[in-house]
Amino acid sequence: MIKAGQIEKGTALLIKGQPFLCIEREFVNPGKGSAFVRLKLKSPATGQTLSETMKSQDNAEDITIEDRTFQYLYNDGENFAFMNVENYEQIEVPMKSFEGYEYIMKDGETYRLTLWEDQVLDIQVPSKVVYVVTETEDAARGDTVQGVTKDAVLETGLKIRVPGFIKQGEKVRVNTETREYLERVND
Amino acid sequence: MIDFKAQKARAELYRNIRSFFSDRNYLEVFTPSLSPSLIPEPTIKVFSTLFKNEFVGEKEFYLIPSPEIFMKEMIASGSGSIFQISSCFRNSEQLGDVHNPEFTMLEYYTMGFSDKDSISLTHEMIKETAISSPQWLKNDPLVITMEEAMKEYAGVDLIKAQDYGYLKSEAERLNLYVPDKESWEDTFNRIFLTYVEPSLPIDREVYLCDYPSQIECLAKNYPDRPYKKRWEMYIKGIEIANCYDEERDKDKILSYYKREQEILETERRETGDAISKADFSFANLEMPQCSGGAIGLDRLLLVEYGGEEIAPILSFPMCGMLKKK
Repeated sequence: MIKAGQIEKGTALLIKGQPFLCIEREFVNPGKGSAFVRLKLKSPATGQTLSETMKSQDNAEDITIEDRTFQYLYNDGENFAFMNVENYEQIEVPMKSFEGYEYIMKDGETYRLTLWEDQVLDIQVPSKVVYVVTETEDAARGDTVQGVTKDAVLETGLKIRVPGFIKQGEKVRVNTETREYLERVND
Repeated sequence: MIDFKAQKARAELYRNIRSFFSDRNYLEVFTPSLSPSLIPEPTIKVFSTLFKNEFVGEKEFYLIPSPEIFMKEMIASGSGSIFQISSCFRNSEQLGDVHNPEFTMLEYYTMGFSDKDSISLTHEMIKETAISSPQWLKNDPLVITMEEAMKEYAGVDLIKAQDYGYLKSEAERLNLYVPDKESWEDTFNRIFLTYVEPSLPIDREVYLCDYPSQIECLAKNYPDRPYKKRWEMYIKGIEIANCYDEERDKDKILSYYKREQEILETERRETGDAISKADFSFANLEMPQCSGGAIGLDRLLLVEYGGEEIAPILSFPMCGMLKKK
C-alpha cells in the first residue's frame, strides 16, 4: 500500500483487481479543502483509461511490475508465442490484447515485456523500426517526384504508403505507433 | 534564463491594478509578512520561524499565507476600502504548473459590497488592467452557482446531497471510491474535482458561486439555503480568485476560530507540521459590511501572458532553487 500522494507517473496500481499504470498525475488543492491528486490511469492490457481523484492520504494498492527480455517466435492466429531469453521458457500472449502487433513485431526479434506476476501488461515495441519492403510496384516514370506515394507491403505483412522512389527489397524506417513511413534507410 | 518580457508584463499589470483601485478611492495598504498568529485554516500548511533577541527572548512567527489577518484589523479600525499586493507563503505546496510556495496575492476589500457586487468589480478590474487581449477576455463571463454546476456536470442534486448517505451513493454511482467515515466536504470534493472543475468552460472567466456551507470559511451563510456567500473564479481551468461576503457575527467568527484551530492542532500533531497559534481576540473586531476578494497574481499573469506553467514567469521559482546544490 502507498499513499495516493506518493503515486507518480509510471506507478503501477491495482484498481478493482485490474492493473493500471499512472500516466498523468496532478496535485489539486481545492480552495479551503484537503489536498487531492487527480490521476489518469491506463490499463496496459486493454488500453482503457481511467480518471481517478484521490485524497493524498488515501491508500492505494501499488504492485510491482518488471520488464524482461523475450524473443518473439511466431503467432498461431490466436496467441503470440514468446521465449524468455534468460531461462528459455515459452509463454503465450493472447493476440486480442495487443491488436495489430503481428504487423509490427518481427519473428526472432527480442522485445522487452512488462509483466505483473504471470500477466503480460505491455510489449515494448520501439517507436521507430526498420523493415524490408517485400512488395511494391516500380514507380511509373515521372512518379518519383516528391509527394507521390504508393502502396507497399513490409516483411511483417504491414501495409503502408511509401514515396514513389522506394523499391522492393529496400529498407524503410516506420513509426510503429502511427504505422507511417518515416524515411528510406541505406545500408 | 530570466524572462525580462515577463518581468515587464508583471510590472505593467501591477501598475494598472494600482491605478484601477486608486482611481476608485481604495487605499493601498502595506502589512507584515511575519505574524505571531494566523487565521486557523487546517488545510494550509505554513512556514514558521523563530524571532530571537537576547533581551526580549524568543517568539515563533509565521510567514503569512494571506494578509487577511492584518487587513481585517485595518478595516475594523476604519480604513474604508483597501487593497494590497503582497507576497504570501504556503508550505508543502506542489511545485511547478500553477503552484509555488511563495506567490503574489492581490487582496481587496470593498466596504458596503456583497460577494455578488464583487463579481462585476472583479471582472471590470481584470478587463481594465489586462496587459494583453487573450480570447477568454473577449467573451462574457459565466456566473454559475455550485448547485447548477453540480447538476450540469455531475448530475448531482446538491439539495438532496445535504444528506450524506445520498451524497455518498452519488459518488459511488459516478465510480468514485469513498472510504468509510469520510467528511461531507471530502466526498463532495471527490465529485467536484473529478467531474465539475475539469468541465468548467475555459474560454471565459467563470464565477462559481454559493459554495456548500459544510466547507468552513469566514464567509456568511445564506439564511435560507445550505450555502455560503462565497465564489471562486476560474480562467482556463485555473483557480484564480476567491471572494466572500465577509462574516461579521462575532459569535460565529469565534466558534469558527475555536473549531478550526482544534482541527488544525489535532492534524498537525499527527503530521508533525508547524502548529500556528490563533489569536481569539480577532473575533472581537467590529467588521463593517464588506466583501473581500483575493487573486493569485502569478496565475492571472500566466493566463494573460500565455504559457502552460508558472515557473517561467517567476524569475526564481522554487523548483529551480531546489535543484541547486
